[in-house]
Amino acid sequence: MKDEKGCEKNLEIKVHYVTRVEGHGNIYVNVKNGTLEKCEWSIPEAPRFFEAMVVGRHWNELHHITSRICGICSIGHTLASLKATEAAMGITISEQDLKLRKLALHAENLQSHILHIGFLVLPDLLGVGSVIPLATSNPTEVKTVLSLHRMANEMSNVICGRTTHPQRLIPGGFSKIPTMKELVALRKRLQDSLSSIEAVANLVESTAKFPDFKRETEFIGLTSADEYALYDGQLASTDTGNAPVKEYLSYTNEYIVPISTAKRAKHARDSYMVGALARFNLNYEKLSPFGKKVAGIFGLKPICHNPFMNNIAQLVEIAHSVEDSIRLIDELEATGLKPQPEYHKLDIKIKAGSGVGAVEVPRGILFHDYTYNAKGVCTKANCIIPTNQNHGNIELDMKALIPKILDKTPKEVELTLEMLVRAYDPCISCSTHYLTVNFV
Amino acid sequence: MKPKVAFFDFAGCEGDQLQVANLEEDLLTLLGQVEVVSFREIMKEHNEDYDIAFIEGSCTRLQDEDRLKQIRKNAKIVVAIGSCATIGGINALKNYKNLDEVRQIVYGESARLFDTYAARPIDAIIPVDAYVHGCPIDRNEFLQVVKSLLLGKKPEVPNYPVCVECKKNENICAFDRGQFCVGPVTRAGCNSCCINEGTICWGCRGLIDNPNENSQKEILIKYGLTVDDAIGKFKLYFGWQEGKR
Amino acid sequence: MKIISKDEFSNFVDALIKDEKWNVIGVKAKGDKFAFGPLENANELRLDYDVTLLPPKKYFFPQRETLFTYNLADGSSAKNPETKPSVIIGVHPYDIVALFHMDEIFRDTKSDPHYFEKRNSTVIIGVNMQKMSKWNFAPYMGCAIVDYGYDLMLTDLGNRYAISVGSQKGGELLSKYAKNVNSALARDIQLVGQKKREIMNMSQQKFDFSTEMIPELLKETYEESGFWEKHAEKCLACGSCVLVCPTCYCFDVKDNPDLALEQVERIRTWDGCLLEDFAKIASGENFRPTRPTRYRHRYFKKGKYLFDRFGFISCVGCGRCSSNCLPNIANPVELFNDMYHEIHSKGVKVSPAQTPEVNIQTEGNIDYVPRLATIINKTVMTPNETLFEIKMDDGSELGHKPGQFAEISVFGIGEAPISISSPPTKKGSFEICVRKVGNVTNKLHTLKVGDKVGVRGPFGNGFDVDALKGKDLLFVAGGLGIAPLRSLFNYVVDKRKEFGHVVLLYGCKEPRELLFSKEMEELARRPDVEFKATVNWCPDGESWGGNIGVITTLIPQVSFDPDKIYAIVCGPPVMYKYVIADLKARKVPDDHIIVSLERRMKCGVGKCGHCQINQIYVCKDGPVFNYSKIKGVPEAL
Repeated sequence: MKDEKGCEKNLEIKVHYVTRVEGHGNIYVNVKNGTLEKCEWSIPEAPRFFEAMVVGRHWNELHHITSRICGICSIGHTLASLKATEAAMGITISEQDLKLRKLALHAENLQSHILHIGFLVLPDLLGVGSVIPLATSNPTEVKTVLSLHRMANEMSNVICGRTTHPQRLIPGGFSKIPTMKELVALRKRLQDSLSSIEAVANLVESTAKFPDFKRETEFIGLTSADEYALYDGQLASTDTGNAPVKEYLSYTNEYIVPISTAKRAKHARDSYMVGALARFNLNYEKLSPFGKKVAGIFGLKPICHNPFMNNIAQLVEIAHSVEDSIRLIDELEATGLKPQPEYHKLDIKIKAGSGVGAVEVPRGILFHDYTYNAKGVCTKANCIIPTNQNHGNIELDMKALIPKILDKTPKEVELTLEMLVRAYDPCISCSTHYLTVNFV
Repeated sequence: MKPKVAFFDFAGCEGDQLQVANLEEDLLTLLGQVEVVSFREIMKEHNEDYDIAFIEGSCTRLQDEDRLKQIRKNAKIVVAIGSCATIGGINALKNYKNLDEVRQIVYGESARLFDTYAARPIDAIIPVDAYVHGCPIDRNEFLQVVKSLLLGKKPEVPNYPVCVECKKNENICAFDRGQFCVGPVTRAGCNSCCINEGTICWGCRGLIDNPNENSQKEILIKYGLTVDDAIGKFKLYFGWQEGKR
Repeated sequence: MKIISKDEFSNFVDALIKDEKWNVIGVKAKGDKFAFGPLENANELRLDYDVTLLPPKKYFFPQRETLFTYNLADGSSAKNPETKPSVIIGVHPYDIVALFHMDEIFRDTKSDPHYFEKRNSTVIIGVNMQKMSKWNFAPYMGCAIVDYGYDLMLTDLGNRYAISVGSQKGGELLSKYAKNVNSALARDIQLVGQKKREIMNMSQQKFDFSTEMIPELLKETYEESGFWEKHAEKCLACGSCVLVCPTCYCFDVKDNPDLALEQVERIRTWDGCLLEDFAKIASGENFRPTRPTRYRHRYFKKGKYLFDRFGFISCVGCGRCSSNCLPNIANPVELFNDMYHEIHSKGVKVSPAQTPEVNIQTEGNIDYVPRLATIINKTVMTPNETLFEIKMDDGSELGHKPGQFAEISVFGIGEAPISISSPPTKKGSFEICVRKVGNVTNKLHTLKVGDKVGVRGPFGNGFDVDALKGKDLLFVAGGLGIAPLRSLFNYVVDKRKEFGHVVLLYGCKEPRELLFSKEMEELARRPDVEFKATVNWCPDGESWGGNIGVITTLIPQVSFDPDKIYAIVCGPPVMYKYVIADLKARKVPDDHIIVSLERRMKCGVGKCGHCQINQIYVCKDGPVFNYSKIKGVPEAL
């Protein structure tokens, strides 16, 4: 590899110690005489040991505890946890509660995707460091993003009680449900947001300059014959096809690398990708018309192997989630909301057993797997988090990307690597952290 | 001169900083009063020159203590936000376990590679000037604390239990619904938000100054918990505080 | 008495709801319990309820209410918008009696405008109990049926309601919104009487003695600390019992600025005397620090203190406290029965309490809005104490008597009671000597000359200057206790000829904490005042030529005629009993000792409950007390 003057290039990129599984990563890149000698993506996060902490806790506490794994996708963790517990105990939930849970998941995907596109990607596209200066320079855009984000948050409030660590989601259903009046008001807001979403999509389209990068990889996620799978479905891979969720371990194959406190996963290849792009690639046909329309603005088609397009897949999902939520509320209105007692009483028979819950959360497929004894006390737990499944893929993307961009200035290399990490939306904090690039 | 504000996180879920990001329009009003110089959740820039440091997350390993001490040195006011930072939070659950075993469960043979010690709140390492309790923090309470600091007032944290707010909100007592609640010993300030939503108080804001723990445990047992489960209720969030008592 | 069919009654309720003039509130189901709430239609109304979670007082004295809003920059305030009148449907008789109790309390001395504005614009439609909660003991308290306090009162007679019209307001409402209302026939009137008799026998609780004995029983039990410790052992101090009580009225006042820091709401919220910090003052002193003392206070307040003042036991027997107490220690029936048997077993004979002479007067409204004033001088006295000179912006005099206090507002922070340090003889302004102890006083110290503050007051009972004229005076001041005493002392000095021999004994911890040191130096030179100062210790590096020792070491150094001397004492809480003991040893009669006490005086007008020591409100009955009047008040000294 040579730079523009024809010299063999040396490059060292070091990212200082940063923390948290879903948050921070260390990057170490070393190029000597134009050869990529080392490229490491590691997570030095202070480990939190949730799988050990839940051992000894009761079946009706696990969703509360594991929600705390991630503040950003706590609704997803809660739902995956509840599904695992319900599978283990043989608990079924009502059709109405199922619809409400799907709304809960849409609310979280909306909230997370809007935060990512609006607070992180958009400032980048407009050439500033954060949404803060945008508030004065681009008040209209910021107002649009804020009102969409507020809508998503209020949707969480109405369905789940609050946005982070939701209270109402409990084993067997909901501790409290929204009123039809609240749902109708929410639907109005969702309908009103359609034009804002299109405006944001057009804004992104007119400013987005994502690298034309492609690396074939495997995409894994849920799939369903009935819908764009988020809450439920079968396990699917673009390489190997479908399998029941309970066989998840043969897909995830977690392994530990000494440099990282976050585990990694691999399946048919050395790494795979989960998240909005994986879902888009697996389930394009099931997107709502508006979702497809937004995909059309960008000419996005499955199977897309450009990880940078995960940003756009998120935008597509925002459109889909809004439209699908309207549909769900329509259905709830048509059947009429069955009132439940002000305080839901659980009638659950506790038994020993194991169960797996898989849910598509903003960053990809999430698994919770619990084993309970006859008293309903957890004896074993396993949680596989989307970002961990992506770590290996991020590193391999970097290895493939760096040689192609060595002709760029150090600043540009740094920015491109940053954009790659950010495209995976591993966590808000991570993707906004500077990478420092040093030429040796 | 607007005070300069920075956000930091340690072992936690970042849900508290998310509450700040979720302030929406209020965040813009807030930005009229303070200058945010560091907030990784929403911004790239970072600056070591700040007046108020908001810290989220617990300290769970020796190597994080230096970073905390540095923040203390830089900041005039240190505010702990969220249960992990104020009372050790859910992280302190692992303090009841054999830490070697904990690492073994999660990381198997590679366990030795990963450091950990008993999870502890920020004030176990450095002096803390103000607290925003809760898991996650309540956005309004966060704003109350910020307003107090801006006006030169020590933020008021209630020293009464969640029952006070729960009664004012006219909820049906969780015990009357056949559930088990630690609201009678848990510090209020959350507006009894979990009971309002039909569940129980889990204790995320920690114990009040002088809780009647014996009476609370007796009640849990009287209403049907085993002794172990009653103690388990206290372990969920009160681990660090109980360890200190 | 009128009769209306249930269908027509529903139409009546729906007609009220339809007329947007009214907030229509009624009893609705909440889970398997009941609560008062806004009605959307008559079908929601559940007049067959047993008891509501909270009593209807929340509509007159809400959990949280804005007293007024003010501008942070200049302190100017705006009045609350007017509220819509309400109709509350389904109030049980005990809750109607409770509202009568609240009325008396909120009109005592000064009337609370926030309470009465809502109270006067509300129509109460009562209903006689059809079910009674298992905790209810209203029949024993004489509160199970009521013949006053309602505008309309319903009795369920199967397919129809009998209605007693209790006021013109009620009659008009009925004639305007109800159709097919007929006069009751004798048969129905009889039936209502029968229902009422049934109600009187519905309680599942049982008192083993006449409840009229309660005040006397309490009197016998105050000192029985073992009794209170036993009953309060399981108390969580969670406040549930007082928060659900229909006659509890204690409140806290706080300032809540908006995010732009432009407007500030001054709000009041429910508070409760069971809560740990209820009687705690800014300096950290807690006057009711233990659970048994707070637990006891609740029973005394209900059964003795309010009885002595208002002539009623302030408990209506609704049983809410009992049903909300998780450790099950709040049931008044159980407690009083136990008390009765314990007293009885000791051979003490207790008779029904004599109804006290009641004379509740109302002189105008409480003004919660402070008057604006300006700091015109600031003298730093020690690192922690500063003397502020304040002038009312409207040019008026504060008009205080020596020993009174004012509520000082620091905008954006809140209000704190501060005693006035200057004598009334000083015209045009007044002085306060303030120690940094809490948020308000800390912020006050940062204010500059020219800055605005708010002033309410003067409040309380000052020194009876006329009674002291011609008498020998012995002032005993400890630490900041000099601040209130100075208002009298300087008055005496200004009118020196009107008083006899004057002695000032002043002590503080160490020389640098000495307040008003310049004035003290001048005093020391005066031939007509005997002045002695002491410090507890003198650290290295400070100089002190006077006495070293606690304040009581000065008392033997002065000679006085115990029959002629009046001792005026103020200092930290711990000081009183030692000084008083020494004075008594010198044969000073009890009624010659005058003290000024410090408590958490929040409202200043004898309502909020924080400064209460036993039956006494320090803010209203004090802060200046004649020792002979409070020596029997256990919480006083």
